[in-house]
Amino acid sequence: MVRNPEIIVPTEGEVFDIELETDILKANGELALENHRILTEHGITAIDVMGSVGSGKTSLVKSMISTLKKHYRIAVIEGDVTTTIDADLIASENVPTVQVNTGKECHLDANLIKKALAKLELNTLDLIFIENVGNLICPAEFPLGSDKRLVVISVTEGPYMVVKHPMMFIEANTVAINKIDLSAAMNVDPSKLRNDILNINPRANVIPISCKNSVGIVETGKSLGLN
Amino acid sequence: MHELSIATTLVNTLLDYQTKQEKIRKILEVYVRIGKLRAISIEQLAYSYDLLVNGTNLAGSKLVVEEIPAKINCPKCNFSDNFDMKGDSLHFAVPSLSCPRCETHLNLEGGEELQIAKIRVVGSAA
Repeated sequence: MVRNPEIIVPTEGEVFDIELETDILKANGELALENHRILTEHGITAIDVMGSVGSGKTSLVKSMISTLKKHYRIAVIEGDVTTTIDADLIASENVPTVQVNTGKECHLDANLIKKALAKLELNTLDLIFIENVGNLICPAEFPLGSDKRLVVISVTEGPYMVVKHPMMFIEANTVAINKIDLSAAMNVDPSKLRNDILNINPRANVIPISCKNSVGIVETGKSLGLN
Repeated sequence: MHELSIATTLVNTLLDYQTKQEKIRKILEVYVRIGKLRAISIEQLAYSYDLLVNGTNLAGSKLVVEEIPAKINCPKCNFSDNFDMKGDSLHFAVPSLSCPRCETHLNLEGGEELQIAKIRVVGSAA
């Protein structure tokens, strides 16, 4: 039986609502899932590294590479607004690095990561660190497709750093508190920062570290499942 | 700062949709749902939206934001509540995923919405 569906058309000038139920960042979310699929297919673990400018993200990544590169084939994707300073620092560890300059954007997004992944020989890698732009708010809104999130803070950011930026810690797997060698000089108690973090996210692994004195580097790796 | 990127994506999505739908003469209102866990300033989003729609087919359209609370529940003692923060403003309160009764890690539901719920349009018979 052939049915002629009745097509309802609006009359000119009629005001009506159309339900859309569309995710605004759907494209980013889908690309993040695609990145995650590509990484999983190649057996690669990806760690998202976030934190303020100067907290020590690059120093920690560099130190972790030097302790982990015996066991893992590692690459780094470096996100910055401009310059290749971080990628150049990491390159001294002799691992492949891709610098992503966001220009005026304050965060990496899944599309930039997709392009960066295309520049890496994925078949030759086990582990990728994705260092986000130094910013504690915006990167949290744009998933990239990584497996775990490492947030790096430092005592030099002051005693209220965690409570002032709580959202970044809610989904963190590990939070490294860097520059503990300076806590006395800064009059900042790392155990207070630790309590602030655990109050927001009781599941987070909190590791006091000093990149300068190589303290806590191995523990940070272990907390992310990297031995 | 990322509100501008989000508003850009929103405006492009709407302009695309409008171009494809012949029955729409004009979009009057855009209803979006934003979860309270999103680090999005609604004021900045609205400001960015108004800047971006200027000179496009969306000029004069109104952005209506509904904030969606997150729910928390405790897997151990069954405590449940809205994940509202004291003073209900991210700027003055610290959220916590530690159960206020038994300190277990709370489960979070919702609060991460970032959706266009619906649009109010003027129809075209063409």
